[in-house]
Amino acid sequence: MKVPVSWLKEYVDFDASPEELAKKLTFSGTEVESIQTIGGDFKGVVVGEVRSIEKHPGADNLLVCKVNSGREEVSVVCGAHNFNVGDKAPLALVGAELPNGMKIEERKVRGVISMGMLCAEDELGLSDDHSGIMLVSRNIPAGTPFSEVAGPPETVLSVEITWNRPDCLSIIGMAREVAALFRTSIKLPSVDFMERGEPVEMLADVDLQDVEGCPRYTARVLTDIKLKPSPSWMQKRLTLCGVRPINNVVDITNYVLLECGQPLHAFDYELLTDHKIIVRRGHTGEKMTTLDGIERQGLEKSVLITDPARAVALAGVMGGAGSEINDNTRNVLLESAFFHPPDIRRTSSKLGLSTESSYRFERGVDIGGVEWASRRATALMVEHADAVAAQGVIDVYPNKRPEKKIKCRFQSVKNLLGVDVADEEIVNIIKSLEFSITGCKKDHCVVGVPTFRPDIEIEADLIEEVARIHGLDKVPTIVPQARVVVDADDSVTRATIACRSNLIGLGLMEIMNYSFLSEQLLNAISSADIDSRVVLPNPVSSDYAVMRNSLIPQMVDTLGRNLAHQVDSVSLFEIGKVFLKDNNNKISEENHLCIGLMGKSGRAGLNKCKPVEREEIFLWLKGVIEALAVSQHVGNLVFKPLNCSRMDADGAVSIEMNGHVCGVMGLVKQEIRKKWRMIEPVAVAEMNMVALIQWIFTPFELHSIPVYPSVSRDVAMVVDENVRHDDILKIIKKAAPQELTGIELFDIFRSEHIGACKKSMAYSLVYRSLERTLTDEDANRYHEIIKEALRKELKAEIREGK
Amino acid sequence: MTAEEIIKLKENALKECQAAGTMNELEAVRVRYIGRNGYLPQVMKGLKDVDPSERSEYGRIANEFKNQVSAALDYKKTELAERGTAEAKSVFDYSLPGVWRSLGTKHPISSIIEETVRIFGKLGFTVAEGPDVETAYHNFEALNTPAHHPSLDQTDTFWFETGELLRTQTSPVQIRVMESRKPPIRIITPGRCYRRDTTDATHSANFHQIEGLYVEKNVSLADLKGTLAYFAKEMMGTGVDIRFRPHFFPFTEPSVECDFTCHVCGGKGCRVCKNSGWIEIAGAGMVDPRVFKKVGYDPEEITGYAFGMGIERIAMIKYSINDIRLLYENDARFLSQFI
Ligand SMILES: [Zn+2]
Repeated sequence: MKVPVSWLKEYVDFDASPEELAKKLTFSGTEVESIQTIGGDFKGVVVGEVRSIEKHPGADNLLVCKVNSGREEVSVVCGAHNFNVGDKAPLALVGAELPNGMKIEERKVRGVISMGMLCAEDELGLSDDHSGIMLVSRNIPAGTPFSEVAGPPETVLSVEITWNRPDCLSIIGMAREVAALFRTSIKLPSVDFMERGEPVEMLADVDLQDVEGCPRYTARVLTDIKLKPSPSWMQKRLTLCGVRPINNVVDITNYVLLECGQPLHAFDYELLTDHKIIVRRGHTGEKMTTLDGIERQGLEKSVLITDPARAVALAGVMGGAGSEINDNTRNVLLESAFFHPPDIRRTSSKLGLSTESSYRFERGVDIGGVEWASRRATALMVEHADAVAAQGVIDVYPNKRPEKKIKCRFQSVKNLLGVDVADEEIVNIIKSLEFSITGCKKDHCVVGVPTFRPDIEIEADLIEEVARIHGLDKVPTIVPQARVVVDADDSVTRATIACRSNLIGLGLMEIMNYSFLSEQLLNAISSADIDSRVVLPNPVSSDYAVMRNSLIPQMVDTLGRNLAHQVDSVSLFEIGKVFLKDNNNKISEENHLCIGLMGKSGRAGLNKCKPVEREEIFLWLKGVIEALAVSQHVGNLVFKPLNCSRMDADGAVSIEMNGHVCGVMGLVKQEIRKKWRMIEPVAVAEMNMVALIQWIFTPFELHSIPVYPSVSRDVAMVVDENVRHDDILKIIKKAAPQELTGIELFDIFRSEHIGACKKSMAYSLVYRSLERTLTDEDANRYHEIIKEALRKELKAEIREGK
Repeated sequence: MTAEEIIKLKENALKECQAAGTMNELEAVRVRYIGRNGYLPQVMKGLKDVDPSERSEYGRIANEFKNQVSAALDYKKTELAERGTAEAKSVFDYSLPGVWRSLGTKHPISSIIEETVRIFGKLGFTVAEGPDVETAYHNFEALNTPAHHPSLDQTDTFWFETGELLRTQTSPVQIRVMESRKPPIRIITPGRCYRRDTTDATHSANFHQIEGLYVEKNVSLADLKGTLAYFAKEMMGTGVDIRFRPHFFPFTEPSVECDFTCHVCGGKGCRVCKNSGWIEIAGAGMVDPRVFKKVGYDPEEITGYAFGMGIERIAMIKYSINDIRLLYENDARFLSQFI
């Protein structure tokens, strides 16, 4: 909201620079966003009279004017067309410097010399208007310094009013704040006028049917109005606040709105059927056209101002077309009312229509000030529109509430703020904000809340008032004292932090994607999951239309986008929530971990030219998961072949931890990779975080270090290509004595010498007894048993070393 | 074979090993002494013929034979290999790139969350978490949000057909914790929140918040100020101070906004702080008694403070990131710098 300081000073006396004022306001809860100076000293700008207008010989859009500067006639090139010979406008002469920084010099415009400039309002820093040059009254003599016409420069504060303070959405409301801050009081303008007309009851009738939507409705009637421009001081103030002057009646309603925060509506009295106002809810299917010419539908439940024939205004939001002030208006019915804030909010948000009026009504105007505003506007109309005011006012206010009273205990103020505010100071602050003190005891006072402060409901609200006026800078900074809450458990967070740091230790880079993504991206990976997708009914855009039900699509996309940036080797992980929907449309969330590997990220050293093999990158990822499982104290990790629509048929496995399936890993299908132009294999895994974090704090048993030495024996064998490591392990474990304590695959070797479809696999087996030192014979005996089993079960050819 | 014979054998083996001048000669030594058909199997076989009382001594000597000969062979092998290298006149190139896996990196948002958790952990705060998909009750009503507050609009909040919504703040977690236990309460709640903002350099429809709640007998605004002042110094540096400005939040009464001294200019005024010397970081206040009543606490018995901060905002300020979108684009060239 804009607050011209000169206007503010009409209601409150204070002695402070705009900067000091802004600081005081900001630190009492009304944030001043900017301090703007409107206008200037206008040195070198005079009122010029246009003597002649000709087309520019070299440019169709430009005019060449002869302008009387009071001293001489100067030639000026001008781009605007909104004036005639004889009009008067601000003329910036050569040497002038305008408030917007522009310096006026003699210059040639397409071959014609221009000795000055006819100015638009924005160039003079008076408004943002650049629609044409500014015209001033023809009665002002040419040569008059423009500063005499414009008046002194104005300071305007831009303030941000919080949602709970509708009373500050007005100059008088701001004046109240300033008065409290400077411990003075405000002076309200006069609302006295002569009631020369007939009794208002003879002229109009108000039928308030919807007391809930409209707790108070007032109407006055003004006759014999002369529409004309409003006085220049009023126009100037409206302009400073960003409101365009129209005519005296409209301007006065706007002026009073800005002055005291009460939106008013002026109807053309003659256009109201039977001169009767009915306040009611809209009927089903009822329509009306608002002032902006748009037909509004869906008005059922909205509060409407109607006459017996039709709706004439969307209560509190916008007037209707066909009953508004027009050039022929002579008589006016002036509405000043209070509408129920949630009703106005609903209508405004349903229609997507927010106005100065709805903005205030939905926050709550001063129900006690409704009639005052009506009188204020009437007084101005009597004075500036020659109006004849009817006698009295129709004021329908059926459920007037008694003044709200709140007890304020001095000790509560001190306790809650941690500041020792004197009792007297508390009372003074409350009084300075125009609250009434109806009873002051030793330890408390009873506070009467004025109607313009609907936000004050309980004692804590009063304490806040004391805090902000007393000054938050007086709140001491107490060194925090940690009283520990003993039984709070945040082990899940700690386990997750541990998991993240283990993944980083394994060399992975953490990423973070949005919780929602596009349907297109989901479908690019798989459409098998459609039923479990949680769709957002009101997404910001189609890119973020579905809640993610897996972290894999965004992982693949992230890998693909990095590849497009020439980052071809990365190992990434993301920890985040996924959202799933069951058959009953119930939404659930799970915390997941996703890992994605691309390129040669698992290959250390110089061997980077060789393309990455499918099995190679798969095993890197498997290695990461194995290491992670160990670091998270997962006892038993098993991988089993799996069919997965997103992954290669032979390159996908399920992940089981301690007996529970908790995720999948594998190679992304080629047809999916192709969409991101990924040529080399890409490995991804996704698992539920619960499995990974639930054992990390489980106590574990230490094993004693072995007493007796171990004996190791190697076995190398030639087997068929289709034999897996797993098959060999099973056979060895089955055949082995309990002394076998370690099996390690140390070589896989293929050559012509071995033969096609064959491979040599070499294992190192470690034997150890807990009771004695094993002899070579022991080891040989065990080893022979195992070799025999391998020969028998796999038809393996055991290769004997020297 | 006797123990003495083994020792003799060992000495010979070590001598021959030392004398070997080529890899082939060395391999011959290996086969002769510790190969499959060499002396070692005989030595081991001898164990069973030894008197039981001497068996352990024999075993020790036999093992020593095996180990020392193996070690000598390995040593000589390296020596011969090095000599070969030296003869090829190549250099030991210490300047080659080191060979190890690359380091992993933590996402800046995680870093700020973990750091915040650590700092408040020192003050006795524990972490509490809650669902992203919330009820309107927990997200708004229980937090004293008026039914016609603009934040309830379709335009500001993501609503589901179930009537649930994506939480717009992590405050509902505070309600859930208060519903589930009695005071004292000292928690912080990091988490993801959602608002229907169109993404630009400073807005993101998906963002992170961390909120704190302390409920006890006699908690005051001064305690809140002390706690946030401590956090400011720990997070941003010892020279950083805080100040309060009055504000409005439905959940707290009184409500304040908390500014930190601009850590870039130290409060003198610069581009980052728009010449004010201060940067707005947190919203905070004393918990509204109406909120306590909703969760069944007696506001006459206890008071409490609550505060909330945007994680992205702190990350952007701390790391001088000028566009919030960088935090969600997952460009490895950006993230790899957060080592
Ligand atoms: Zn700064």
